[in-house]
Amino acid sequence: MYQEVKLELIFILPIFLPFLTAVFLFLNKKLFNELITNFFTLNSALLSFAIAAYAFIALGLDKFKPIKVELFQWISNPDISIGFTLDGLSGIMLILVTGLSFVIQLFSTSYMEKDENHCNYFVYFNFFVFSMLLLVMSSNFLVMFFGWELVGLSSYLLISFWSKKPAAAKAGNKAFVINRVGDFGFLIGLMIILDTFNTFDFYKILQNTTGIAESTITAISLFLLLGAFGKSAQFPLFSWLPDAMEGPTPASALIHAATMVTAGVFMLVRISPLLQHSKIASLLIIIFGLITALLAAFSAINQFDIKKVLAYSTISQLGFMFIAIGAGAYVAAIFHLVTHAFFKALLFLGAGAVIHSMHHEQDIRKMGGLRKKMPITASMMGIGTLAISGIPPLAGFWSKDEILASVFVNGGIYYVFWALALGAAFLTAFYMGRHWLLIFEKDNGFEHSDVAEAPKAMTRPLLLLGIFSIFIGFINTPFFHGLEKVLHVTLENVEVTHLPKGITLVVLAVLSIGAGFTGLIIAFLLFGMELHKRINLKKFKLEGPINLVKDLSSNVLYLNKFGNFFFVSGMKNLSRKVAVVVDGMLIDGSVNFVSTAFNKSSKITSSTQTGLVRNYVVYFGLFLLLLIALFIATPLVSR
Amino acid sequence: MILRNEIVMLEVTTDWYLTLAAILFSIGFIGMMIRKNALIMFMCIELMLNAVNLTFISASKHFGQVDGQVFVFFVLVVAAAEVVVGLAIIVSIFRKQSSASVDVLNVSRG
Repeated sequence: MYQEVKLELIFILPIFLPFLTAVFLFLNKKLFNELITNFFTLNSALLSFAIAAYAFIALGLDKFKPIKVELFQWISNPDISIGFTLDGLSGIMLILVTGLSFVIQLFSTSYMEKDENHCNYFVYFNFFVFSMLLLVMSSNFLVMFFGWELVGLSSYLLISFWSKKPAAAKAGNKAFVINRVGDFGFLIGLMIILDTFNTFDFYKILQNTTGIAESTITAISLFLLLGAFGKSAQFPLFSWLPDAMEGPTPASALIHAATMVTAGVFMLVRISPLLQHSKIASLLIIIFGLITALLAAFSAINQFDIKKVLAYSTISQLGFMFIAIGAGAYVAAIFHLVTHAFFKALLFLGAGAVIHSMHHEQDIRKMGGLRKKMPITASMMGIGTLAISGIPPLAGFWSKDEILASVFVNGGIYYVFWALALGAAFLTAFYMGRHWLLIFEKDNGFEHSDVAEAPKAMTRPLLLLGIFSIFIGFINTPFFHGLEKVLHVTLENVEVTHLPKGITLVVLAVLSIGAGFTGLIIAFLLFGMELHKRINLKKFKLEGPINLVKDLSSNVLYLNKFGNFFFVSGMKNLSRKVAVVVDGMLIDGSVNFVSTAFNKSSKITSSTQTGLVRNYVVYFGLFLLLLIALFIATPLVSR
Repeated sequence: MILRNEIVMLEVTTDWYLTLAAILFSIGFIGMMIRKNALIMFMCIELMLNAVNLTFISASKHFGQVDGQVFVFFVLVVAAAEVVVGLAIIVSIFRKQSSASVDVLNVSRG
């Protein structure tokens, strides 16, 4: 009992520590120089990571039995309270967020050096960490919704951090508005939940799913799914994420790659006991996940902004996580979330180091041949590239292979889904190989005499993340189900899709490795050896199709233009018509009618007010006569 | 008492007083309507007030009750107060526009 109380108190600490740091730094903004700010923020991040690690270990010793802390009850009927929970799922996220937050803040101290709003950056950063922890540690939907909205806010603040750039300000707005569409769905989902279950508490809801009609569960799942689509940048609400790359690169690494965008995946795994009862929702998740994974991977192959390639890659990998959820492989989804967080943070920080050394040049056509100038960054990003491409034994292989195998094992139409997902994996390897080769290998004829390796504060986080990207995959392999044990209690009532046994698994693994290798080799042939320049393209009539692919890819299949035409312009025209007809004619018209009616009638009556005393005397006399006439005409009552 | 039989006098009844009061009131009212000098209008008001007083007294005599006479005292007091205020206003009007015509004072016309 004593142990439990102690742990309960302790796991709340890392949630509020970043918040206190943010407030503290904000209040002393003018007082602190960069050194003092760095000191406070790094120590606070390290402390919260240490506490989080302690809480996680203590939880592990207790066989991952969920711990719940209810701070206070807000409303008794319906049952709404403010509370937090620590179980396998939120424990993993707690460690992930606090750990990556520390590593990325370490990187940021160097990246944001001599920025005029240095302190503000860390205020926003800590505020984000607080919001994210609020989201993942919540024990009910309401606190989760608070965190959900607050991460949106802090993401907005960090995207438009350099708000003097018009593009940054615009990108922040776009992210906020598109997220709003998703949040709207999330909110409706919450209303249906409150109506159905009369509580927001996860445990009470998720253990009482048997008596609920499937249509209700489907409605809840679909609305919550809309929220997840917005936050996790899934088709069709994905276009904000590439634009969000206007923010500082380390912030992109934490928010728009490792943690915040995975909130949708986290939420869907959290409600998996509900989700498993709705076939339609699961099917929709896997279909949209596939569309996203393929579309984003396709879009990434002809991008030239170093960060945009990674942004599309993030969208594509999030698509993989949704595929896993749709296939019922919730453990695989969380597994991919964890491994992806590490190698994508690594890739983003590497990109940040390159951008820093290139003096804020982000066009990869102007890079090339940087391997000799920046050996550590190049090798670390190489590890990240191999990891995301699914080359064993690096992290990405284990998680991606688990997802692919889980899709395959469902059978039926899922064989098609599996093939498509394999195609997306192939594309992933291809564009990531191209990305690395264009930056570090290919000679583009640019002199980079002033480019040098990034400072140690940047390379150390890279090395750390590089090591994790290699080994983190071993937490859940077919031979050692570590993550499954962690999530066992959380997913107690859930039917999780398991890996196939025996030879099937090996064949599937070989196929997915093959897809990864093929992608990398084709990328090497095209961008390393420049094979396409040696073949006469015109002879094979390949020039047209290739240019078409390039054009479609760099314009994201013209989806943005379509959306702009259909939604933005259409809405503008509609609202203009509404403004003229409803507002101008109906509302303004009725208001003006009332005022003119009063004006005209009052003009008529006011003409009797001549201002001449004798006229008033006449009126007075007339009414006096009238009074007398009435007096005579009316018989007295008393008579 | 002896003369009473010799000199034939018309009996002055209450009707006569009431008729006189009505005539006085009408003169006052018409004066209000047709004159524009503030002083004259003021006098017309006084005329109307006194016509009413006369009505009160004659009615009082006719019915043998003192109520009407008591009322006349009230009317007189009010009229005196009204004269004080009214004359002050007329003087200030006269100072402002060097005539007592009320037709110029039509700022509140519609």
